[in-house]
Amino acid sequence: MGIGVRAEDIYIPTFLDLFNLRFGHSLSRDPASPNYGGIAEIAALQREFQIFRGGRPFVETARLLGLGGIANDPAKNWWFEQLAKLPHFASDTSENGDERIVNALIANLARDQPLPCSMRAHDGREMDASRVIVSENATPLFFFDYRNYLTISLPMRPSTGSATQAGSSGH
Amino acid sequence: MATDPAELPVVGTDHDAGFGSVYSAVDAYYSKRITEFGPIPLGVDWTCLPTQQMRFVQLLKLCDFGSPFSLNDLGCGYGALIDYLDWRHDNAEIDYLGVDLSDTMIRAARDLRQDRRKISFEVGTRSPRVADYSVASGVFNIQVHESREVWESLVARTLEDLYGTSRLGFAVNFVTAGRGGTLDSHGLYGTDPPKWEDYCHSAFGAKTRVIDGYGLSEFTLLAWRREPGTLSARTGSGLLQ
Repeated sequence: MGIGVRAEDIYIPTFLDLFNLRFGHSLSRDPASPNYGGIAEIAALQREFQIFRGGRPFVETARLLGLGGIANDPAKNWWFEQLAKLPHFASDTSENGDERIVNALIANLARDQPLPCSMRAHDGREMDASRVIVSENATPLFFFDYRNYLTISLPMRPSTGSATQAGSSGH
Repeated sequence: MATDPAELPVVGTDHDAGFGSVYSAVDAYYSKRITEFGPIPLGVDWTCLPTQQMRFVQLLKLCDFGSPFSLNDLGCGYGALIDYLDWRHDNAEIDYLGVDLSDTMIRAARDLRQDRRKISFEVGTRSPRVADYSVASGVFNIQVHESREVWESLVARTLEDLYGTSRLGFAVNFVTAGRGGTLDSHGLYGTDPPKWEDYCHSAFGAKTRVIDGYGLSEFTLLAWRREPGTLSARTGSGLLQ
């Protein structure tokens, strides 16, 4: 279970990076600095417009923020189709995968100092791994001298793979 | 409310003189964007709708929505401000004029909003009418290939135009260059608040307010006339006598 990835879906890392750049740490906390932005920008948009809200699927806000990029429409549309399936995914809580992401972002962005966010993938072929996993005490970008990130991990697998096949191949 | 353009004195047929090539370069830049992306935020070089609308939020802090008013929108693009006004100020009575130097933009704006009352669009580098308020979003950001000196001359000219065509006040935004810094990379013009706030004080005697801290690497400058509808000696264009 998880997002089935085809060999031609080579833009997935780009899509993850689009999220990570917009939601990453701000290089400055000074609004007068040209380096101001990142999660500070998203938090400001959330305060003003509630871009994330209960009942609004994550994919809708991803579209609103342009997280599908501008270079490749078929790839972008495919990515949004996958994100639209998140309500059918389980998560590491009782929420479905979509609710888990949206609610975690809402809670994070309501903080005085929101954590920067990182989106990544994990191997959805692993047993019990076909869930969206969100963690707050992670340092996915350990090479930055920075505090914790809110990490969102999406289950992914080869589109031809299955949990059984994965298990038999040692994954 | 708006002044009939026929009542306006002639400002001078050489208004664009000295900046013709700059306006042409800006026109080419934005006409290419709207042609490539269509009437969406990317078509006017914003990353997405929320950041585009966040700028409108700040700019419109200029206006008193408690009574009807006229509004000039310089650099209106495809008229995205109208969508925002429809969304958040649906009950406001606003006489809107969008002005853009790109004919391609204005055609897109007109196509989207045919048969709307009190909404019109004109191609130009300044408003042909006096309105209560004027706003200009993002018009100073892309300095194309111009030198900082030339671009800042254009900024000053545009601010004078905005002041001269606004009965109550105007609002603009700038990319921030940091305190004391500059950001002339990639054709982007960056500046710091005191420079143009001081200019509005000295050139127009305007009351000003700078807004920042809204999540974007920029600031918004609001400027109000101290005495609505009167001229400062410095500008002296006679527009608002």
